[in-house]
Amino acid sequence: MLNIKNLHVAVNGKEILKGLDLDVGPGELHALMGPNGSGKSTLGYALAGRDGYEITDGSVAFEGQDLAELEPEERAAAGLFLAFQYPVEIPGVNNAYFLRAALNAQRKARGEEEVDSMTFLKTVRESIKTLKMDEALLKRAVNEGFSGGEKKRNEIVQMAVLQPKLAVLDETDSGLDIDALKLVAEGINGLRDGKRSFIVITHYQRLLDYLTPDRVHVLSDGRIVESGGQELSHRLEAEGYAFLEESAA
Amino acid sequence: MSALIDSLATEARLPADDHAEVRRRAHKALLKHGFPDLKTEAWKYTSLRVLEKRAFSDQRPGLSSLPELPFAATVLHFDNGILDATDLNLPAGVSLQPQTDEKLAAVDHGDRAGAFGWLNLARFEQAWQLRIEGQQEQPLVLAISTAEDFHGDVHPRLAIELAAGATAQIIEVHEDRGEGLVNIVQDIALERGANLHHLVSRHSAQSAWIQRSEAKVARDADYRFHALDRGGRLTRHDLAVTLTESGAQAEIDGTVLVNDRQHVDFHTAIEHEVGHTNSRESFRILADGSGVGVFNGRIHIHRGADDSHSDLNTANLLLSESARINAKPELEIYAEEVTASHGATIGQLDDQALFYLRTRGIPADQASALLKQGFAAAPFENIESESIRNWLIGELGQLL
Repeated sequence: MLNIKNLHVAVNGKEILKGLDLDVGPGELHALMGPNGSGKSTLGYALAGRDGYEITDGSVAFEGQDLAELEPEERAAAGLFLAFQYPVEIPGVNNAYFLRAALNAQRKARGEEEVDSMTFLKTVRESIKTLKMDEALLKRAVNEGFSGGEKKRNEIVQMAVLQPKLAVLDETDSGLDIDALKLVAEGINGLRDGKRSFIVITHYQRLLDYLTPDRVHVLSDGRIVESGGQELSHRLEAEGYAFLEESAA
Repeated sequence: MSALIDSLATEARLPADDHAEVRRRAHKALLKHGFPDLKTEAWKYTSLRVLEKRAFSDQRPGLSSLPELPFAATVLHFDNGILDATDLNLPAGVSLQPQTDEKLAAVDHGDRAGAFGWLNLARFEQAWQLRIEGQQEQPLVLAISTAEDFHGDVHPRLAIELAAGATAQIIEVHEDRGEGLVNIVQDIALERGANLHHLVSRHSAQSAWIQRSEAKVARDADYRFHALDRGGRLTRHDLAVTLTESGAQAEIDGTVLVNDRQHVDFHTAIEHEVGHTNSRESFRILADGSGVGVFNGRIHIHRGADDSHSDLNTANLLLSESARINAKPELEIYAEEVTASHGATIGQLDDQALFYLRTRGIPADQASALLKQGFAAAPFENIESESIRNWLIGELGQLL
């Protein structure tokens, strides 16, 4: 599904990712942990194609396709989704309108038929119900005036509607209380179908308790320095990132 | 500026009718003050050069087309600026008649900044008085349109009176296809407890479109104004609202879109003459191409107008390097126990928001159109009538 080889990414001329390797297979859920500034969000932005995130070396292939050659919207249509750490407010653009425009733009790009408003509303309502959100949010401007938790849950609603092949969730758990965290985890688990893949970027073990990742990776200074099963996240929770320095020494 | 006097306001061009004295007085005032130029404070961002170069023809243009509207309304069509008042089917409580000479004789358009008002008074073809009583459910549309071969100058004059307790919606739809001058003067009065929602949707081609609307709002009356200006070669709208008695309030919302070489200038003034009066204003300009947008919003809280409240906000989007926006809030307060706030921002499309939309699969062009549309539509979100709100937002969508 996703094959990252020796990826180097510079932001404003400063190298942040310094040779990252990661393979994510179909249906797998990988957790990416690591201290602040280690490059986790940079990876998310680089995968989504943000301006100013320059790939200086290495490669990223998504289902065999070189991601660097695609515009952000082409990556989305190809099946890549980034849940933002800080979802952006879009004043004046109604949430339902936005979501339908996004879904239909992706479908159009893939040569599929657009969905009618009835089918669309049905899909959205189901996702909203799963995440226990207020349906009135659909009529409000995208993320405007949403609480921190509502914004994060809204990212998961978008993911559920857009049905990506690979979702990168950038600290979707931060700022959530335990109930909201469970709902987000349910939202993610509901989309695990053996084919769809996930990269979950997080600081905490908490979310992973509900998600059971296939692999856990630790990112430090722009590289993956440790990979393992779920036990690795428990160790990080107990010991912090200090042991990385020991193992590096 | 004598070129404009020569082309528009020679004595020979004054219509001969019962209002000769009114017209002569207006003409004299116009000659005395002259037309404004860039040194006139209220006109410093808007040059009349486009007008000076024009020769105005007295030839009668072809019929102009009436814009289609997606809601039921009583329509008064000012074809090339002239209303054919025969066979008008006005609803009960609405009457239309010519303004009296006495009313016209009392008009004062002030100094040079009011030159187009004087020109209108000297040259008007018709001066109507529209009186509205009771609760008018259906909107009243004033459609002013010009035909492609319109090269003349026309000076519609209209007084609108809302009787005490009356409620009405007046929607002005201005569609210009010509290359002349449309110079409108409106004089609006809201008696006690009246409620007027006044909307203007305007699109001008090559004509200069100059409009002066003055509204006086009495005790507990409520004046609401929405403008959607979709650009024109030279558009200037002066809106002056005076809150004359306590409990009066005014809300002004507007969006201006300019592109290519269009120029739109909105000057608004809200006068809080007495205490316990409220106003709120929010205005947006989106300037693309080599378009120029001007917004000057003045709030004046007079001495003794204590316990008045006002809020003025202008947010603007500069969409190209050669576009220009001049946005200026002005606040003058001479009273006590007043809350007044104002803010002005000029920015560009938010890169972060664009990226967000694109990561959801929306192509760059569509994403920026969506952001522009969202920004431009915000002043209309508070329109209660869904059909009117959707109509205005739809008009926006066609342009962005």
